[in-house]
Amino acid sequence: MLLPALFLIIGLLLGFMTNFTIPDVYSNYLSIAVLAALDTLFGGIRAQLEAKFDQKVFISGFFFNVSLAAFLAFLGVQLGIDLYLAAIFAFGVRLFQNLAIIRRILLDKYYLYKKSKKSNDISTNSTLK
Amino acid sequence: MKNVITKQKLMIGFVCLLIGFMVAILFNTNQQPVDRETRDTWEIRSALQEEQKMQQNLYQEIAIAEKMLLEYQEQTEHQQIDSLKESIEALQKEAGLTEIVGNGVVLTIEPLFLDEGYQEFPSLNAELLQLFINDLNAYGANEMAVGNQRIVNITPIRDVNGEVYVNNSSIGSLPVEIRVLTKDTERLINHIEVSEINDYFALENVTISFKEQEKIKLPKYEGTINFKDVQLGDVPEEGES
Repeated sequence: MLLPALFLIIGLLLGFMTNFTIPDVYSNYLSIAVLAALDTLFGGIRAQLEAKFDQKVFISGFFFNVSLAAFLAFLGVQLGIDLYLAAIFAFGVRLFQNLAIIRRILLDKYYLYKKSKKSNDISTNSTLK
Repeated sequence: MKNVITKQKLMIGFVCLLIGFMVAILFNTNQQPVDRETRDTWEIRSALQEEQKMQQNLYQEIAIAEKMLLEYQEQTEHQQIDSLKESIEALQKEAGLTEIVGNGVVLTIEPLFLDEGYQEFPSLNAELLQLFINDLNAYGANEMAVGNQRIVNITPIRDVNGEVYVNNSSIGSLPVEIRVLTKDTERLINHIEVSEINDYFALENVTISFKEQEKIKLPKYEGTINFKDVQLGDVPEEGES
């Protein structure tokens, strides 16, 4: 669990240290790519919590989603349609859905944990008496 | 088994690294300062001075207006009407609705013939005339007239079918006379003599000659000034200052 966070921080540091910027024209693509990446990441977390995580699906999903989103944005620019809005919408909805499911799973786990602790307490209490 | 887990974690870590990198770049890109102040102290100081000058002028205008207001309030009705009439006259004079006589320069724009055999009769164009009038204003001209047309604040200068129209009537072909009233004729003439505008005129095969003259009479502006789009500005509530 610590490793991804560490890598995230390293990535952030790398980005800030290099002070690398891209032209304004391409910031659209990057923003949508970030959204796609976040979507994949949360999808991965959810899959992990549901115990059906598949590394191949995760990695391929990451690159495929990111490139597809960038391509969609590119196509939209060429056609004069704000297609990237469609991608933002889709990814945004999925992001929130994944977050909601993750939250529910975590809540369930928390309740289960609390319950087991309580029952443990009761049992220990009863043994004490 | 342990090896698989570490590889998996590494992969997720790699994705996180990419995400972090992209987010950082995006952040960097969006945090670029939009407009940087590039003026040095001297430029800022001169800009400030200009603003102060403008402020001073505005204060003066306010003082004059307040004085006038005071006058109105103190006078009897008859006197009030008189001073109103005076104000109207002054305003009309300022707007160019009256004939005006004064010292100034008479500029004549003439064709310039070079000994190069065949040459078309030169003509003026509106842009050049506009440029010239702007220059004259910058050099301290108070009032001016092109031909028989008085130049007021809203005077249009246009090219119409190859002719130059001032105040919606043609000024005819060259030579054209421009009468300029100014307080300091010498300065104006000096400025014109060294101005770049001479070169621009020469490009069109036109030359300017000028002579100082006393008691130049300028015609009044014949048209009506359209107040359709003129609106009262918001007058803020007067407060204690």
